[in-house]
Amino acid sequence: MMKSFRPSSSKSFLPNAPMKPKKCPFTADGIWEIDYKDVDTLKQFTTERGKILPRRITGVSQMHQRKLTKAIKQARYMALMPFVAHD
Amino acid sequence: MRATKTNLYEGLYIFRPTLSDEAREKALKKITTVIENSGGTLEKTIDWGRKKMAYEIKMCREGHYILIYFSLPTNVMDEVIRENHLHEDLLRYLHRTIEELPEGEQVKFKPLTNVER
Repeated sequence: MMKSFRPSSSKSFLPNAPMKPKKCPFTADGIWEIDYKDVDTLKQFTTERGKILPRRITGVSQMHQRKLTKAIKQARYMALMPFVAHD
Repeated sequence: MRATKTNLYEGLYIFRPTLSDEAREKALKKITTVIENSGGTLEKTIDWGRKKMAYEIKMCREGHYILIYFSLPTNVMDEVIRENHLHEDLLRYLHRTIEELPEGEQVKFKPLTNVER
């Protein structure tokens, strides 16, 4: 029988150990509003190409992910961040 | 009759980089006079200066960013937006309502301490 392995993103060394839930970085620091002008923070939640990372990778809470998405889209509109980053 | 509500707004404006200092001041004055004539008050102006934009807008690779804070009755916001649309030197603008005026001359943000990927 084929042995099933967990995805590579799992931090655990044990194959079937339960994944440790990630903590929301915004909740941990007590940040409740995300500003579109804070480009350095927003860039941490996008790929090199400029795409918004899903919260299953970053561990951001649902409420903050909604605010983050809005902030990134506003920053893109004001040309502070790219829609598509080229090489 | 119901009294009109006044909101505090934050507006980020991108002006053409080719404008001279005088012309840019004149262009900004055009926006602020509309706000003041509509019964609003200008609270604060922060000049971000000339910045490289992430992409080209109206054949411009750079833009002069100016951030203004103003309070305005909610029913005259449409008039301000209409005037901004007709502004030739304005590349782009974004308004949003805010709760309170930020302190200091420059807007600073707290960096995140624990971001894990």
